[in-house]
Order: sequence, then C-alpha cells, then structure tokens
Amino acid sequence: MARSRELVLALLAILAITGLYAGYAQAVSVPAASGLIGHSLGIVGFLMMLMTETLYSLRKRAMRRPRGSMRSWLQFHIFTGLVGSYLVVLHSAWSFNGLAGALTVMTIVVVGSGFVGRYIYTAVPRTADGVVIEAQELQGQLDLVRREMAMAQGAGAAIPSGTARHQDRRANRRLREIERQMAALRWARRVLATWHAIHIPLGMALFVMAFVHIGAAVHYATLLR
Amino acid sequence: MRRPLGCLTFSALIAAVLVVLAIVVAAAATGNGIFSPGRLSSVAHGGAVGGVASHAELEGRCEACHAPALSGERMGDRCLACHTTVTNEIASGGGLHGRLAASAATCRDCHTDHRGATAALTLADPRVFPHEQTGYSLAAHSLSGRGVGVGCRECHPASPVSYSAPTCVGCHQGLDAPYMTAHLAAFGSACLNCHDGVDSYGKTFTHATYPLTGGHEKTECGACHKQATTLAVLRATSTECVTCHAAKDIHQGRLGSNCAECHSPAGWTGATINHDRTRFALVGRHVGVLCESCHVERHWTGIGTTCSSCHAKDDPHRGQFTGDCAACHAATGWKDVTFDHAKTGFALTAGHAKPACAACHAGGRYVATPTTCNACHAKDDAHSGSFGKDCASCHKTTTWTDATFDHSRTQFKLTGAHAGVTCQKCHIGGLFKGTPTACSSCHAKPSSHTSAFAGSCSTCHSTKAWKPATFNHNQTHFKLTGAHVGAACQKCHTSSHFSDASTACSSCHAKPSSHTSAFAGSCSTCHSTKAWKPATFNHNQTHFKLTGAHVGAACQKCHTSSHFTDASTACSSCHAKPSSHGSNFTGSCSTCHSTKAWKPASYNGPHTFPQRHGGAGGVCSKCHPSSWTSYSCARCHSNKSMIDKHKGRSGFSLTTCANANCHPTGGGD
Repeated sequence: MARSRELVLALLAILAITGLYAGYAQAVSVPAASGLIGHSLGIVGFLMMLMTETLYSLRKRAMRRPRGSMRSWLQFHIFTGLVGSYLVVLHSAWSFNGLAGALTVMTIVVVGSGFVGRYIYTAVPRTADGVVIEAQELQGQLDLVRREMAMAQGAGAAIPSGTARHQDRRANRRLREIERQMAALRWARRVLATWHAIHIPLGMALFVMAFVHIGAAVHYATLLR
Repeated sequence: MRRPLGCLTFSALIAAVLVVLAIVVAAAATGNGIFSPGRLSSVAHGGAVGGVASHAELEGRCEACHAPALSGERMGDRCLACHTTVTNEIASGGGLHGRLAASAATCRDCHTDHRGATAALTLADPRVFPHEQTGYSLAAHSLSGRGVGVGCRECHPASPVSYSAPTCVGCHQGLDAPYMTAHLAAFGSACLNCHDGVDSYGKTFTHATYPLTGGHEKTECGACHKQATTLAVLRATSTECVTCHAAKDIHQGRLGSNCAECHSPAGWTGATINHDRTRFALVGRHVGVLCESCHVERHWTGIGTTCSSCHAKDDPHRGQFTGDCAACHAATGWKDVTFDHAKTGFALTAGHAKPACAACHAGGRYVATPTTCNACHAKDDAHSGSFGKDCASCHKTTTWTDATFDHSRTQFKLTGAHAGVTCQKCHIGGLFKGTPTACSSCHAKPSSHTSAFAGSCSTCHSTKAWKPATFNHNQTHFKLTGAHVGAACQKCHTSSHFSDASTACSSCHAKPSSHTSAFAGSCSTCHSTKAWKPATFNHNQTHFKLTGAHVGAACQKCHTSSHFTDASTACSSCHAKPSSHGSNFTGSCSTCHSTKAWKPASYNGPHTFPQRHGGAGGVCSKCHPSSWTSYSCARCHSNKSMIDKHKGRSGFSLTTCANANCHPTGGGD
C-alpha cells in the first residue's frame, strides 16, 4: 500500500473528479470544451501533464542541488500524469474531431505507455535512493564471495570444515542471486531502453500536438471571435 | 553536458518535426478543418441565409465566420452580415434580438456551432434567459420549481421566437374553463395587452389597489373593468363608486358621488349616513333623535328641511309666524331663543333689551305689535301728551331722563349762549310748546335803550353775548370809513337817539377859526375821513394848475392870506421882478421863464437875428453882454480887419450891425 500511495491518491482524485463531472453533466450538461469548465479542465490537465513531463526529469538531473527525494518526485510524476491526462480527456467533451481528437487519443496512448513504463522501471534494481546498482558492484560482490570460497577450500584441504561448507553454500546462493539480479538488470535495461525509444517520441508528439491545439484554439476562439 | 530534459532525444525531435509536418499537411488538405472542434450544423431553417442553407455548407471555409486576425472585424459582425433579419431587429429595437439589446458582441452569448450536424445552434439557458426583456416575465411561468414547471415549447410550440395568444388561452382553458370563457368575453384574447408575466392577474391576484370586499367579492371583473382590453385601461379604472353605481343611485345624485360615506361594499342596506352630507345637518337636540321621528314610516327622501315639516304641531304661537322656527329658535332647545329683534325693524337697544318679551308682547302676541313709543309708554308720558306721541324725538331707549332734544328742528335754533342755557331758562313751568321766539320774551329791554331802539335786538346783539353789541353802520347812509371806523359811537351819537345824528361833517367837526369864511365849501373838498391833516386840495380844478416847481411849493407861499381864493395867478404876485431886469423886461415873465425853474430862462419872443449866430449857441450874453435890449458884436468882430473892412462906411458901429440896412440876419458883406 505504501509503495503505491500515489496510485491510490490518483485513483481517489480521479473518482472525485468523475463524481463532480458526472453530477454537472447530469444536472446541466456535458461541459463543452470551449466553456468555462471545459477550458478549465483542459488548462489544468495540460499544466499537470506539463509538470509530469518536466519536473521529474529536471529533478533526476538536478544532482548538485537536489530538492526532495527522487521517490517523492516520482510519486508526484505519476499522480499528475494520471490525473492531468484524465482532466484532458474530460476536456474533450467526448468529441474526437480533427487535431483535438487525435490529441485526446494520443494522450490516452502516452498515459498507457507511461503506465507500462512505470512497471518496467520498477523492475530495475535500485538502492534505497533508487540509484541503479552498477554491474561493477555486483561483480565485486561475486568476486568477494568466490575469494571467500577459495580461501575456505585452501584452509581445509581434505575435508572442509562445517563452517567453511556453510559459507560456501551461502556464497553460492549469493552468487546465484546476484547473477539472477544481473540477468534481470540487463533484461530490464534493454526493455526500458526500448520503452524509452517509443515513449519519449510519443510524448514529444503529444506535446507538439497540444501546443498546436492550444495555438489554434487561441487563434480561432479568442483572436477571431 | 547532460540534457536538461530527458525528452529532448533525437528520436523525440524527429517525432516533433514529423508531427508538425503532419499537422501542416492535414491542415492544408482539410482547409484548416483539423482545427475545427466539431462538425457544423446542417440544420436548415427556412430559406438560404448568406447563400447557404445551413452552416454545414461552410465546412472548410473558416473565414466565412472567422474574420482574419487583427482585422478589427468580429465574428459577430459576420453573423449579422448574413443574418440580416437579426440585424434589422437590433436596428429597430424590436423583435427578440432588438428587445434583448443584442449586438455583434453578444451573438456568442446564446449561439454557437461546431457541436455536430444536428446540434442546436442556440445554447441560451432558459433558466437564466432574460425573458422579461421580451416584455413578458416568466415570474408566474417558472421553468422549474414549485412542483410543475413550464417548458419553453409549451408557450412557443412553433418557435422560441414566436408566440400566439391561443397558446395561452388553450392552456388556461384547461386550468379554469368557465373563468377563462368569462375572462375572454370581458377582456378579449390579446393576453399580452394586460399580462406581462409579473402581475399574475388571476387566482392569485389580490386586487390590492382596490380591495374587493363584501358585494365586490363576487362581482365579475368585467362589471367594473368595462372594455378594458389593455393594461393601461385596466389600471385606469376609476375607484369612484358612481363610476359603476351611478345608474342605480336611488338618491339621483343628490347626495354626491361618494357612496362610501354612507354605504359599504357589504351592501347598500345598513348605510350609516352622515346627516351632515344632506341638506339638513343634525345639530343640537336633533342629534340622537330616532330617525323615524322625522322620517316617518322610513321615508328617507322628501321630508323637507323646514322646522314646520316636523314641528308644525308644536307651534305655541298659533301660526302667528309664517317664517321658519329657526329664525328664533335654535336646535339646542325651544327655549333657546336667539331672535334678532333688529330684523323686525325695532332693534332692542339699551332699556328695551332687558324687559321680558311679554312686557311689550302682551298675551303672547308677537305679530303686528306697534313700534311707536306711545304704544307702550303712553302711561309714562310726563308731558301729558303735549309733545305728541313720538317720544323718540327727544328720548332715547337708555332712560327717560337723558333726553336730547334737537332744538334746531324747531324754529328757534340754539346758537351761541343759548346752547348752554338750561331748558327751564326759557321754558318756564315745563311748557315747551308755544314758547315765543322773540328776544324780548326772555330778555327785558334795558332802560338805556329808551325808545330809540325800537327795532329787533338782533340788529345789534347776537346770541353769542349781549355785549359787545355790534352795528353795521354801512347799512346806513353814513358808511364809516377811515378814522370814523374806530371812533366811539358816542363821539357822533351824542344823544340817546342814534338815528338823529347828522351826516354833515360840521355836525361833529367845528370849523377852525383859521378857515374864516374863505372855506365855505364842503370839508371833504380838502379833508378825508382818513385824518384831518394833512388836508389835500386838487389845485388843478382851479384856473391855476400847479406845474413844475409850483407843485411842491407850500400853499402859504402863494396864499399869503387866510383867503385862498384871493390869490392872483400873475407871476409877479408872488415873484418880485429882479433889479437886473430893470425896465428892459416889461413883458410877461413866462416869456422867458417856465414853472419848472426860474433859471435858466429862455427867450421865446420874436428875435429876428439868428440866436445861434456865430456860434452863440443860444447863449444870450454872447451878444447881449450888458442889456437884453442892446447888443454888441465887438465880442467877436472887434478885430482890425473888420474895422478896416468897414472903413469909409458911415455909421459903422459894432452895436448896430444888425440894423436892417446892414446885417439884419447876421449874414452879408
């Protein structure tokens, strides 16, 4: 539960928003995209998506003057990504015409992609601070165990002592565990790289479309009204 | 250097470029249709507007509605450019858009598009639509609330912008058919003429401006609001009772138009009349009397307002007075008599005010009571009838004793001292009538007057006082003038007989000795009554008129004796011949002298020789140096040349030049 708190919060927020939205739609009508509520949904949702895209990325690269833990920013990233995109979808007023419709679809696609990416990402081993354990560190640990094994065999030439056998077994378990971790890390990094190669262009396409959509809305619905 | 954002990868930038290209291509291909938020409406309303039947025909022609940016033109301007009907409504202020004060800037408040082919273009929220601006409020036709709401289509079945009265009628017939039938009959079917949606004329209408109570509660509206087919006429309905009830006024307008003063809407009967409104206000003992006392058998009209209408039987005067009782009696009570006796012509003043009426009106007889004093006061006559019956000629109504007789009404007006004399001085013994008017009847002739004054006393005396007596002497033959005016009567009237005095001056004025017999004439020849002296004599009436220096000369200068008449008129009788004249001047003095003055004398006699010869200028001594009878020319002609000239002439002398043989006129050689 604690590990997926942001998901719970996002779910609660989405449920609350859905309730308000449904209530308004029932009492009045589905908020038009161009109305006060519709525009508000779009603007807030877009800003949250923009924060999703930028703040976590900036934090990851802010090594000299970090603010907050990486985990907190990731939680915020996930929360805004889910809630913001949901608001944007509501902003569409369930109309999927032209660029705006494509933008809505793209939003759903990118959010889904991000959701998948999140689980790939969490599969990558990390320290408490979330820093990926470098392969060298794993290899160092393996070498240490193997040295311990060799030392144990040299000391008890004929019959290894009970203590040495015990250490050997433990070292072997540790070795196999580390080897599995390394294999999983390699797999995860490959998958993550692949996911990045897909997700990031999609996200870029999404934001380009969003800005064009905003520009068109301002142009037609504000400047030309 | 690390990328600030993880998204700025090569592939991401490629994707961005590709997306932009895709958008540009799509926009070009669709005529910017990809930016359309939705399909345009294909719903057609009537004929073509702006060349198209519906907005759907404008798909891909964004500029048809969206004016170029920064052009100054709004989208609303393009709406009105095509929808000229709306434009005309706005311009005229009529129609739906005119009444809503719509403009190009407010088109979007109600209208939109891009909501799909079949979506409505009008998004006006009926719950907030300012329906009252159309001239009809929805206050009584709420769209929601109060249980049952009224939908737009219920009143606007054909179109939200159209309305027809039958729609109202149809609905309200369903609510109360009998009422609506009567209502339509009374007020017509032009509902909006009166109803604006706020007034709620109908079942909930309180008629507060004129609360309907009593009989008015059941009255049909049209009974009062006749022919009221507009709100203005409806509200202008008079609230005066007579407006509706005049035709049934049993008082025939006699009691005015305010029925409510006596009647209430509860019913015509049970009126609480304010009797003051009638011609007979109830005052005094009339207040509280039972109505039926006067309105016998409840006859409310035609009772009459005279006292006798009700009180004829109460008349104690037995019909003596034909006038109204109220002339004497007040409504407070019969005994409260306030009779103005002055109206009878016999005002009760002073002593007459106090006695009881019966003192004069004996036996209750009021009419034809005589007004003469004697009628009542005959027994009081102290004069025993000697003055007749008109006591008021002397007496007043105050008391008998303060009689004030106007003696001027008699033949003997009281003037002067007579005015202050007591009556008894003349009217001795109380006798007034027949008193003689002669002075002597009261005033005895004094002994001093003897028989000389046989005439009337008033010839000399006035009523002002006996003395001083005054006599107008001018009525005699001898008018008093000058010093005679102030002279005492006895100066001339030396005897007791005034009439025997002579008018001759000498009868009073003795002739002075100085006058001797020379003044035989009348004294008045020289004297006037002004004064004896100075006496004046008009000398011009004599043969010797006084002229020149004679005028101012004293009389005695010439009249040396006491006889004035013996004076000579010759000059020499007064003026002695001077020695200088010698024997030369034998003629009359007046030859040379005038009465103006002795000198200068001037010769006026014959003088053959020119008196102005040789510059003599009339100066006698020029030629007559020594004697008037001789002359000498030597004063001027004694020069040697003159002597030489006359050499050889015999008899030449400068004292004989004027001889007839020589120079008789002073001229010649």
